[in-house]
This record gives sequence, structure tokens and C-alpha cells, in this order.
Amino acid sequence: MSHHASTRPPMSPRIQTINRRRVALNIAHKRDLYCDNAEFLVYHWSGKSEAFAPATGEQASSSRINIGDHNCRVDTGMPYPFVDEMPSRQKGLANTAENWAQDYRFFITHSPAVIDPCERIVGDFHWQLDEARTFRYPQEVHDLGYAARQLGAGGISFTHTCPDLSIGLKLGWGGLLSKVRANRRKFEEFGNEESASYLRAAEDIALGIMQYIRSYAEKAAQLEKAEEDAQTRGIYAEVAAVCSNIAEKAPQTLHEAIQWIQFFQIAERMHGHGNGYGRLDQLLQPFYDADIAAGRITRDEARDLVGELFLRYGNYFSLGGRNRELCDATCETSWVCLEAFDMVGGYNHLGVMWHADIDPKFWNYACDVVGRHGAGCPTLLNYELFRASELRSGYPESDAWNVSYSGCQWYCSPGNEYSDHDVNCLVLVQPMQRAIDAAIEQNAPDFEAFWKIYENEVDCTANALRDFKNATYLWQPKVWPEMVTSFCAHGPMDKGRDITDSRSVNNAFTSVNVLAVPNVSDSLYAIEQLVFAQKKYTLAQVRDAVASDWEGKESMRQEFLNTPKFGNDHEGADAMAIRVSEQVREVLESKRNIKGFCFRPSLFQFMGHTYAGPMLGATPDGRKRREPVAHGMNPMHGRNHEGMTATMRSFCKLDFSKYQGGSLQVELQPTFFPKEGRRGDLVEPFATSFFQMGGVQINLNVLSMAKLHAAMEQPDLPEHQEIVVKVTGYSAHFVVMDRKFQEEFVERVNYKTL
Amino acid sequence: MKETALLFAIHRLSTDDGPGLRNTFFLKGCALRCTWCHNPESISPQPEIWWTERKCIGARDCIAACPEEALTLTAQGLSIDRERCTGCGKCVDPCPSKAIELIGRPWTVEQLLREALAERLFFKNSGGGVTLSGGEPCLQPGFVSAFFRACQAEGIHTALDTCGFPPWKNFEQVLPHTDLVLYDIKEMNSERHQRFTGVPNEPILENLLRIRDFRTPLGRYPALWIRTPLIPGYTATAGNVTSIGRFLAENLGDRLERWELCAFNNLCGAKYAKLGSKWPLENQPLLDPDLGASLLEQARQALGRPEAVQITGLV
Ligand code: SF4
Ligand code: SF4
Repeated sequence: MSHHASTRPPMSPRIQTINRRRVALNIAHKRDLYCDNAEFLVYHWSGKSEAFAPATGEQASSSRINIGDHNCRVDTGMPYPFVDEMPSRQKGLANTAENWAQDYRFFITHSPAVIDPCERIVGDFHWQLDEARTFRYPQEVHDLGYAARQLGAGGISFTHTCPDLSIGLKLGWGGLLSKVRANRRKFEEFGNEESASYLRAAEDIALGIMQYIRSYAEKAAQLEKAEEDAQTRGIYAEVAAVCSNIAEKAPQTLHEAIQWIQFFQIAERMHGHGNGYGRLDQLLQPFYDADIAAGRITRDEARDLVGELFLRYGNYFSLGGRNRELCDATCETSWVCLEAFDMVGGYNHLGVMWHADIDPKFWNYACDVVGRHGAGCPTLLNYELFRASELRSGYPESDAWNVSYSGCQWYCSPGNEYSDHDVNCLVLVQPMQRAIDAAIEQNAPDFEAFWKIYENEVDCTANALRDFKNATYLWQPKVWPEMVTSFCAHGPMDKGRDITDSRSVNNAFTSVNVLAVPNVSDSLYAIEQLVFAQKKYTLAQVRDAVASDWEGKESMRQEFLNTPKFGNDHEGADAMAIRVSEQVREVLESKRNIKGFCFRPSLFQFMGHTYAGPMLGATPDGRKRREPVAHGMNPMHGRNHEGMTATMRSFCKLDFSKYQGGSLQVELQPTFFPKEGRRGDLVEPFATSFFQMGGVQINLNVLSMAKLHAAMEQPDLPEHQEIVVKVTGYSAHFVVMDRKFQEEFVERVNYKTL
Repeated sequence: MKETALLFAIHRLSTDDGPGLRNTFFLKGCALRCTWCHNPESISPQPEIWWTERKCIGARDCIAACPEEALTLTAQGLSIDRERCTGCGKCVDPCPSKAIELIGRPWTVEQLLREALAERLFFKNSGGGVTLSGGEPCLQPGFVSAFFRACQAEGIHTALDTCGFPPWKNFEQVLPHTDLVLYDIKEMNSERHQRFTGVPNEPILENLLRIRDFRTPLGRYPALWIRTPLIPGYTATAGNVTSIGRFLAENLGDRLERWELCAFNNLCGAKYAKLGSKWPLENQPLLDPDLGASLLEQARQALGRPEAVQITGLV
């Protein structure tokens, strides 16, 4: 057994060069992701585009908001050069998988191979399909979207799942193609034209991707010929060989496997925003073990290859967790992967899944890495709760064990689900506001009468969301199928049904981010206390004060503000937060989507809290209109007076197996850690205790507020440009974040001590 | 009898007062008057109030609530007549914006234990526990010993943070239930000690030697850490650090587990302001890191066990 790292492994000069390129791209705003408007952030639907805002093309938005360097596309500043030659423009756009696939095949085979010197893992892309193909749902869907928005809900349906890459790593593109062809013939023989047509489309996709990979082999060979430097020539030759091997055949070595994954990510992200990509240590383990056994690779070379994969994108991957027998799945490859991140650091979305039997040394190392790098990476996660929540929802055991952290706060059974994670939102403030108005009208005599009205209003909003989602689902596989992802899922290619379609994968829930739970529960608690119990104010006074943004009502506002709040381990306030969460959960779980699955709440929302304030107005928790609302279940800034552990105790009163995630955000000053001593030795007991209490996720930033303020003043200083922070569930370079996000970030509670 | 103590602050998951993650509970009342004291609100054994300008919205509800007529609202903000104020706390709740806080509320052993138990997972997983600090906890030995006994019964590690000045009989009551003593030696020269803290250091050094020899009925010695605040212009001199180091080497030997040098921080001026006074060290610069490093070196040499000496709080 090799010895494991306990300090940061150094980057070789070659890796340093690649790292410099990565940082340069990010801070030059070449990898930014946009959305159309602030409504998108709050309701996850802009009413303009059907997903995030296309960066170029006729559907691009002129007044867009920068979400951060979140994207994988490398911006050239130019629109896609072959827009006019797209088959759908030449022969007409139709809402069918075949029409979509023809566009995709043309698009990917007219995308350039991008190879930089000294890279052993290659692949970048400049355009996404929605910059060249019109992405539009019919008007009836939009009408339902606006109706839902009116009542406080919205959402897109787009990516945000997790394929099972082991399917493709086993078969290769050639194997996948044969499978598609065999199934296509079967459906043709039995007269299922719908599935046969889908699989004809899938053939187009596979052939396009294979040709795209070959173009990398050819480009690398050309570069090799032209190169003078022997070492660089060697790398080009290696890249050419690897690409030509995996264009059709299944990968045989670790290098080929990692390159295969990189191409899959590109091929997928070219048609959309992208997904989580599963349990990296499990995916790579067979290749790593075989290479080591055959003496083909050293441990350090393996680490460098994984490091390169991280430097390319830094997508959501996970490590740790349990295996099929429910024993610890941590293996040598887990160490190699984590050391690879420790080596390259920076922008990344890796997560480590704790469980009661995890290798304690590995867990301590993971805690040390996040403590030292301080940018929320790896995210610390509770595998036990992930699995419990999947089982509770009805995932079969055989799907649930393999659960993987896949995005901000969500997790998937790779290849076994399409559940709309993180793309729908229900804003609890509107139902509450309507309930206040209705209760005044009906003269509600006590809090329970008021609560009944509130329950009704939440139900109303949930119904509107359900109708909107169901209309979307009807059209999604026709308008914008996710065919690359479908190749690495269990079901679609056997059934000839897209992963977004019904009767395709095993699990198809509708996940819904619930925004502003702490604000609504704190508001309701204050109303219960001050209006109904103490009768100090009437509901009408509350409505008027809130409507005028507490103008001239500072004393009253202070009373509402100083009524106990969620997050301080206060019995009454926490009980209300649970009541509010449980109610919205029950309502959502009672709704069915047309795929036959229920809606599931997530107590998280990735950034709506920053922009929601003015849109939603002031709230009876004493919040003024311009203030942000709470991020997920984290108490509002300045509202946890009792310290971090009280917040953790409040958090853990919720049973997180009933929800689809709810992360705890922790910002620590570097001075929290004694100068000497491993940071992991403090982070580990903190995280372990939280998970034993029933917590599900910790995003830990270690950063000096003074430095962030300085970075806002002088974003161009090199030492500021490299600052990466975990914003909510995703990472970003601080200096490229939208000013509003920066402001929200530096306002957070920053603990010198916990 | 129900033992209660006046508690003025709780630091949760602290890494400053003993091993692991700890809850530190701060008790009110101290016999010393250190010029640099970072906890001015700890000194009086009575409850006090303080007022935070930033939170005040001028609602005047406190003034109406005060039975002693101790409060007036002036152009400079709320003025508290500390001669009149009895610390009854009646002005606290009526304030809608919570600008007035009561410093020092009575806690029973059971209440404090409940607070500790809520965090026991963190203690267990980190090798931490509870620390009683102050002020000077040993001025309330009955409470300290009852609380520590209750903690130990629950398997929670106990640490006592003391200035060492209380009478020995107080320590005798507390030590049987104490796992770790954090003992302050601030200044070796007794005359200077008197000047800085208001008391001579002989009783403190005598108590230290007795603690060194103290064994619990079960034959256990409590662990012993010495702490020395490094205050520029006061204790942060090579001579002081060297004399303390020699004294410790001669007298404590292996009973000394660790010696911590605590660098001066200037974060408490606001607390003095809230109590209506001014911090004498307001304009004192922070400990220069180079000086800190050289003092650490001298301390290590004087003690002869470099690994046992650490410096904390350097920026
Ligand atoms: S011993 Fe501590 S609490 Fe007492 S006066 Fe000195 S510094 Fe303040
Ligand atoms: S504590 Fe009591 S006596 Fe002192 S100001 Fe407040 S109400 Fe008056």
C-alpha cells in the first residue's frame, strides 16, 4: 500500500501551466453562466428562455445576470459560426427527437477540437446547442408558467441529474451504438415506431460524438507533426492515440477512462447545462487497479491525470460512501482523487460522503483538505441520510446504495433518475401574504384559523406548479430531449424513450426548492405571538406595516424582529419552522406528476435569496424589503444569536431523510484555527458530530472578510483573482461574481469562534 | 440548596481554553484588577446592564420601566447612572430593539449541565469538554465543584481557568472534580504584579505549588497548563518570560503539560465603552510578531522543554 498524503502534494510545472490557463479563463469571464433576469433566480423560470440564458444567438438576452464562472463553455465572444447551416434552419424545425438529433450531430461535428500544449486530458467547447437551435415550448406551457409565477412558483426542466458513466466506460461509443441499433431493429420489427424513431435519432448522436472524438485524434496528430519540442510531441502523440482508441472502443486504461469521461461531459454540456457525474472513485477504481497491477502507471501519474480532469471543469463528483454490500467504499482510488484535488485546489465541486463506517483516516484527510483550502471543497456530506431519503421516497435498494452527491445540495442514483433537481422553486412568501389578506377579510379568530387559510394558499401554489410542470413534461422529450445523458442511463436506450420522458428511468420525482422557509416560519411565529397570543397588533396593522416597508413603524418592526427566531435552538420558533417545512412537504408529496411520481421538497435554493428581497417586499419577521431572504434553512444574517451549535441543533430538529437536501453554510475566519496543528483535527469532530446529530451537508468556507472586502475594491490584484468561495452549493471565483452576490456574501455571519 | 452562579457569557466550540472543542462558561466576579482586562464586565460580582448605541432606536421604553430613575436619554445617547442602578434588569425586556442587555444572569447547575450536554457529541468527537472561566470561577467554589462533579458523572472533561488568587480552601473544594487547570502566571516580579493587577503574586505562586502536589481521592493529578498573557508595555518582556520559564522549570517539572503565551489582542475597547468607561490600553499596538517569536524562543529556552511552549493569538 502506498502512503497517503497529509499535506498538499506539489503541482508539477506542467500541471501549473494548465492551472494558470484555467484561472485565466475564469477570471477573464470566459466561463460565465447567465440567466435572463432576477425572476429566474427567484422562481427558476424567466418566462424568456426555457433554461439558462443562451450566451449568443437569436435567443440570447440583452439584459442578463451573470451567475458566475459556473459554465464549462469557453467563450470566444463570437456566435456559433454555422448557425445558418443548421439542419433545422435548412429543412425546418420540428419538435421530434430525430429533428433535434440531426441538429446535434451537425453541431458537434462542426465544433472545433480544442487542444492546448502540455495537456494530457483534452477537450473544450465554445458553443451550446441553444445558441444555434431554437429552444421554445408552446404558448400553453408559458401560460401555465405565468399562472404559477403569479402564485409564487416556477421552474425549468433541464439537465440536473446524474448519468451512470460506468455504462459508457464498459461499452465505449461503439458498444453503445450497437446496443442502440439492436434495439432499434427490435422496435421496428414489433412496429413501435415511436421508440424506433428515438433510437434512429440516438444513432445520429453516437455517430456525431464518435466523429467529434476522432477529430481530436486527427488534430493531435497534426500538432505532433508540426511540434519541434520532443516532450510536447510525445504528449500530442499520446493524446492522438488515446482519442483514436476511445472514439469507438471502450477505454482500457486509466488515461483513456478519464479522457472518455471528459468527452462525455463535453458532449453532454454541449446540449445543456450539465449534470453531476457520479462517484469518481468507484468509476475509476477498476482502471486504476489494472494499470497499477500491470505496471502501466505510477500513483503520482494517476493523481496528475485526475488533477487534469479537475482543472478542465471541476464538476460535481463524489467520493466515499458505501458499496453495494453497504460496507465502506473508500479505496485507494478515493485517496488518489482527493489528493488530486488537494494538489490543484481552486474551483471545484467535489464532495466526500461520510458514513458511520468510513475509513477514519480518509475522512480526517477530507476534513483537513476543506479546512486548508477553505473554499468549501470538498463539500462534506452525509451518505446515510442520502440513502435513507432515497429509500423513503421509494427508490429500490438496488438504486439507493449507489447514491451520489450530484449538485449544490442534491444527490442522485446515477443513471436511475430524472428528478428535476434544483430547477423548480416554490416561494413561500406569496402564499403567506395571500393568507394574511384572506385572514383579515375572514376575520380569523385565532392562529389555528389563520393557519388553515395559509395551508390552503400553499396548496394553491403547489397546484399551479404541478400544472406547469406537467405541461412541460408533456413536451420536454420532443422539444429538448437529453439524448447524450440518455446513453448513460438505465432504461432509455433499451426502451427507446428519452431520459426526460415518462416510462424511461426508474425514478422521476419532481424536486422543488422551497425558498424563504426561515422567513415565513419566523413571520408566522411572530404573528402567532404578537397578533394572536399577546394581541399587541392586529393582522391588518401587520399587513399595512409590511406593505409600507415598516415606514414609521420602527418600534413595531423591532418587536417583530426580536421575537425568537429559527436557528437559536428556541423551542417555539423551531417548532414553527418544522411545522412550516412539514406542511409544504406534505402538500408537495400529495401532488403527482404525469410520470406517476410525487413532488419532493428541498430546503435549499441556490441564489434566489439574494435577489428576492425587493421582489417579495418586506415580511412580518421584521425584514425590510431591500434585505435578502434566508439562504436555504440557514438563519438570516444576524439572526442566530446563540452561536453555530444552536443553529445546528435547530437544523437537526428536521428529519432530513424527508427532504431532498438542506445544507448548513459555515463561514469561518482563518484565525479560528490555531497556527499549529492540523485543521482537519477540528473540522472532523465538528462535521462528524453534525452528521451524527442528523445534519446532511456542510459547506465550509474559511476566509478573511478583510480580504474579501479588499478584493471587492481591487479585483485586479493577482492574489484576489484566485479567491474561490462556496457561494451556496456551488463554487465561484469571488472577483467574477455579480456585485449583489458579493455584497450578500460579505454580509454573512463570519465566525471567529463557533 | 440550589447552587447558582452569575454567568455573563458562553463561548461554544471554543478552541482557546483547553484541548478539543469546548464550551467555555464565564462567571462574574474577580478579585484582580488587571489593567488590560479583556472582560471588564466580568469584574463586578453583581449583575450590570450595558447599552449598545448601534441598536438603540430611541424608544425610551427603558426609561419608563426603571424604578430607580437611573436612565436618561441625552444627546450622547442613553446615560446610565451606575450609582443608582441596582442591576434589577427591569429595563431590558421593554426595549423593543434589545439595545439594553443584562450582564450576568443566575444559572443553576442543572441548567448549565443541560447546556453542556447538548454539545457533548462535539466534546466526545474532539476530545474537548467544558471550561469554567471568568472573572474568577473559584470565587464561587460550591457552584464550580457541583457543576464539575455533574459533568464528570456524564463523562465530560472539565477545565478550570483561574487567576490563582482565591484562598486555597476554595481550590480544595474544586480540584477533586477538575481534569485540567489552566493557571495564569502573568508577571514574576511581585511589585510589578501588584501594580498591573492590584494584588501581589506570592499567594498565586503558593497556590500553584499546592495544585502541583494535589491528588484527588482516587490518586489522580489534574493536568496543569500555565498561561501567560503577553501585554506589550506590561508583561511582554524577555525578563518576565525568562523568569516565569525558570520558575516553572524548577518547580513544576513534568507536572507542567503545556505553557501558553497568549498574544495581546485589542478587541475589547467596545465593551469598556458599553460599560461607560474607557479601556486604558485603547491605543496600545498589537504584539509585534517578531517580538512574539523572540519571546517564544526565550520561553522555550528558559523552560528547557521547547515542545511544551506555544504562542496563541499572534496575527
Ligand atoms: S484576572 Fe482576568 S478577569 Fe480578573 S481582572 Fe484580570 S484579566 Fe480580568
Ligand atoms: S437595571 Fe434596573 S435599576 Fe438599572 S437601569 Fe435597568 S431598570 Fe434601572
